[in-house]
Amino acid sequence: MLEDNLWVRFLKRTGVGLAIVIAFFPIFWLVSTSFKPIDEWQRFPPVWISSEPTLQNYRIVFAPKAAQEFAAKQKGAISYKVSGSAWKAFGDSAVIAIGATIFSVLFGTLAAYSIVRFHTGGSSYPFQFLVVRMFPPIAIVVPMVVLFSILRLSDSYLGLILAYTAFTLPFSIWMIRSFIEEVPEELEGAALIYGMRPLQAFLKVTFPLIRGGVLATALFVFILNWSEFLFALTLTSGHVVTVTLQVANYVSASSGKLYGVQAAMGTISTLPVILFGYVIQRHLVRGLSFGAIKR
Amino acid sequence: MSYRHSRRSFLTQAALGTAALTVAPSLVMSTRAARAAKLSLENVHVDAARRAKELADGKPVTLTILEPSGSLGNIKPIAEQWKAATGIDIQYVEVPLDQINQKVLLEAVSKSGSFDIALPASFGIPDLVTSGILVNLDELAEKYEPEAYQKDYLYTIANYYKGSLYGYETDGDAYVMFYLKDWLDDPEENKKFSDKHGYKLKVPDTWEELDAMMAFFHRPERGRFGGALYRTQYFIAWEWWVRFHAKGHYPFDDNMTPQINNEAGVKALEELIAASKFLYPGARSNGLFENFEAFGQGDKFCNIGWGGTQKFLNSDKSKVRGKLAFGPMPGGIVKGTLLKTPYFNWGWNYVVSSASKQPEIAYLFTLYACSPAMSTIAVRDVDGYFDPFRKAHYKDPQIIQNYSEPFLAVHEAAMRDSIPDLYLRGQGEYFDVLRVNLQAADVGEKKPKEALDEVASKWDTITRRMGKQSQVVQWRFIKSNYPEGIRNRLA
Amino acid sequence: MAEPVRSPPSPRLEMRMGHRRLIPFNVAIALPAQLTVLTVVLVPTAIVVWLSFTDWQPTQGIPWYQAEPVWFWNYYDLFHDARFVAAVLRTLLIVAVCVVVEFLLAMSLALLFLDDWPWRKIAISIIILPMMVVPVDAANAFFMLFNDRGPINYLISIIVGRQFEFAWLADPNWALLPIMLAEIWQWTPLMFLLVLTGLMNLPENQIRAAYVLGASRTRIVLRIMLPLLTPVIIIALLVRSVETFKIFDPVYILTRGGPGAATETISMFMYNGAFVYFRIGYIAAAALMILVVVAAICVNLSRPLKRHHR
Repeated sequence: MLEDNLWVRFLKRTGVGLAIVIAFFPIFWLVSTSFKPIDEWQRFPPVWISSEPTLQNYRIVFAPKAAQEFAAKQKGAISYKVSGSAWKAFGDSAVIAIGATIFSVLFGTLAAYSIVRFHTGGSSYPFQFLVVRMFPPIAIVVPMVVLFSILRLSDSYLGLILAYTAFTLPFSIWMIRSFIEEVPEELEGAALIYGMRPLQAFLKVTFPLIRGGVLATALFVFILNWSEFLFALTLTSGHVVTVTLQVANYVSASSGKLYGVQAAMGTISTLPVILFGYVIQRHLVRGLSFGAIKR
Repeated sequence: MSYRHSRRSFLTQAALGTAALTVAPSLVMSTRAARAAKLSLENVHVDAARRAKELADGKPVTLTILEPSGSLGNIKPIAEQWKAATGIDIQYVEVPLDQINQKVLLEAVSKSGSFDIALPASFGIPDLVTSGILVNLDELAEKYEPEAYQKDYLYTIANYYKGSLYGYETDGDAYVMFYLKDWLDDPEENKKFSDKHGYKLKVPDTWEELDAMMAFFHRPERGRFGGALYRTQYFIAWEWWVRFHAKGHYPFDDNMTPQINNEAGVKALEELIAASKFLYPGARSNGLFENFEAFGQGDKFCNIGWGGTQKFLNSDKSKVRGKLAFGPMPGGIVKGTLLKTPYFNWGWNYVVSSASKQPEIAYLFTLYACSPAMSTIAVRDVDGYFDPFRKAHYKDPQIIQNYSEPFLAVHEAAMRDSIPDLYLRGQGEYFDVLRVNLQAADVGEKKPKEALDEVASKWDTITRRMGKQSQVVQWRFIKSNYPEGIRNRLA
Repeated sequence: MAEPVRSPPSPRLEMRMGHRRLIPFNVAIALPAQLTVLTVVLVPTAIVVWLSFTDWQPTQGIPWYQAEPVWFWNYYDLFHDARFVAAVLRTLLIVAVCVVVEFLLAMSLALLFLDDWPWRKIAISIIILPMMVVPVDAANAFFMLFNDRGPINYLISIIVGRQFEFAWLADPNWALLPIMLAEIWQWTPLMFLLVLTGLMNLPENQIRAAYVLGASRTRIVLRIMLPLLTPVIIIALLVRSVETFKIFDPVYILTRGGPGAATETISMFMYNGAFVYFRIGYIAAAALMILVVVAAICVNLSRPLKRHHR
């Protein structure tokens, strides 16, 4: 192609470099703060990398008893009586995210199969699910509280799982739909001729071919479920705590927001998302564009 | 024993001739007198625990408490003793403190029974009562509460709504002023000030005096500031509330017509805005903890706050430990004499959920937790929210160590005579309209009169929506419970 | 004989549908998804419709189904509610600014990644890192960054040459900026990926031909690539606009809609109205208005999506 002159090449490099720095900086700050002792959290000039890095913030999050002991021995270390356990938060988030992902992918695959192979509901049916995605969830949160109380699902795992499933179905359906469409119908047709029932044909023939895509969808939906905040905030009252809510619990009556502890919690809770995100990197585009854009 | 009998049969047994007039208070008194043998103030916690154990009857009972994050240290020690005494387990469900009122209210919608006891902020009690989620504790109190139980409390207005008991206060959130003693006592400054104003520096009695002192000490070019008061969100409304009352007026008249936009209200706002000039730069942006730290630097003359503020300032995190003088809320001169208007804002109440399956045991726990013996243990926690609220607390050595004696003296006096917060249904809406307009006036977006007129008209709308008749009943009740010395002097 | 489905199924599979069923097979397997959505979304929406005609508040002490109707008064009040109108306009502003900025940044950046160069893959991996951070944690990070004694102010101090301790999140005029920056930071990588994928999928022939014929780079981008990229651009803009419209997490964490109501977006307005003031009926009316408008816009705009999908 065209050769870049020096100037253009320099601009290019700077542009990319700047983008990388900006992309990385807030994350760097988060991780760095998670290792800072309390007196460095709000120091001015800001402390970029702690000169006395400490694990106390992580201890408070994951091993409160050890944190108490450490604070007793070490002067200046922050001590915080935590009642909600971060382990419970991770556990709750895992249960809900995994449960909701399973439902979403399961229902989504079946529905996508039905839509692609049978044109169920006509050409506008898939768009009904898209409309779900357009709702500001806050709009129906209070009626959901009412509905869940009638169904005895208030502040429960199943309640959140259902809510998450419903709101990630658009992604599941559209993503898996685009994967199924890539598999020619004839393959199933051949299987049918051999005497298989339609669902069998799908599972034995098509599904193995889209397994990678379904897995990618599952991880994508998991990321959405794990990061969700609004429903967790409004549909729970303390029995169920997700990682996104637990961060807000690290406030003390004497010091206000415990930045370091919140940063520690944030760093660890964001790890699964980063991990899975990179695993499905190839499919991110398809997912976030509802299957419209593929590589 | 006799508490199983109905009121009528008790009357027939105990009455000594005086016929008809069964005025409720005297009935309650005599009923209570008859039970005094069973529940005395000093042993109420022992008796409550014992009674709860009897009610539990050997079955495994668990009480769930919905509490705000950070208050665990206040509750856990008591809960452990309770468990030892009764065998009843306590479970905690924690939510961030700015969400607890709404979670209790949502329970009114979902009625899931997920908690038996809750700790909402006191100003939210009216909303919770009208939503039906709080158990009316009158009957249970009649059964169990010792006569002197609430007399030992310094502030009890928030426990009631329209005359009925709904929860026990468990925090002493009276507003207190903090001053740098060195600056006040400095002879040179005193001379300069008295030359200018005609009186010596002292803990101010009125807002006029405070504003004058803040102006006097405000020397930003030398790194000294007049005050660390707040101009943010709720704090600005709280300060204005005291300034307004100090001019001798109630916020509403007897028919709930707002009076806040009268001359006194406008003047109070103008003075507040004028005082903003003498505050430190963080006044318009800092929240609670930033304020602690800022004032703890020792370069601002005065601060406003609660017991929690003092716990910080009295710790080794602050540079002003031991260097502070304390004062009540400044008042005003009304009809020639000084009117002091201390103010109780916030507070936490133990309440019992109407969706609870064991309200009586739950009530007994709250009685237990707020008893003199147990509540002292609770207040001792340095990291918790509960500030002293019973006479007994001010004598406890640990509490004295946390807060320092001079502070406690001022705090106790303030608690005793505090004017209440706006305990009305829709409190959030009323106060929000107020603070938004106060802030707008403070930054110059609106003129003071304009801002307060808007508040008044919006308040009318809110009152109408809430049901004027109902609001009037509660307003009159609050009015009649303003401290005696202040009640008669407000118009 | 197969049960009639809603539109003709492909003939081959039709052959195997021998016996009658209560529910056609294809409908049955779509049912779980349909029912979930029905229960979780449609029933609450129906309740919202009912509530929007009442002024129900939980503090009235009556159950929601016994609330007194006020018919269209809620809508009337909403139109005259300056705070609501401000929230709507503010949200539209945020959508417009964020989506456009995200797109421009993404486009410029994507153009730099068209050719292959060493470390390209790693650079892409780092650039897409922001969209893989939990939004709440990203918002917390931005809260710390924009502290009046935080790194952002420090960097500005260095550039400007004097102490800069501006309290971004407490200023009614500027508090929107950290929120928008948080949103842009988090989602530009998404736009970047979408645009890059689109660009990489462009037919090479036209572009190569243009090069050979001597067209300048700018011309190629503007006259050939962009028009070809239009469907992808539309989808990207549409998807991001809808998602940005719902923005909640950064607003809640950074300002709660404050100071005052200066950074209240639609979602924050509804949250405050429902959970701070408990005016459930009133907010239901607001919610319904938003739902109807958004649905109408999206139904109309999704035609290009449909077209592209065919």
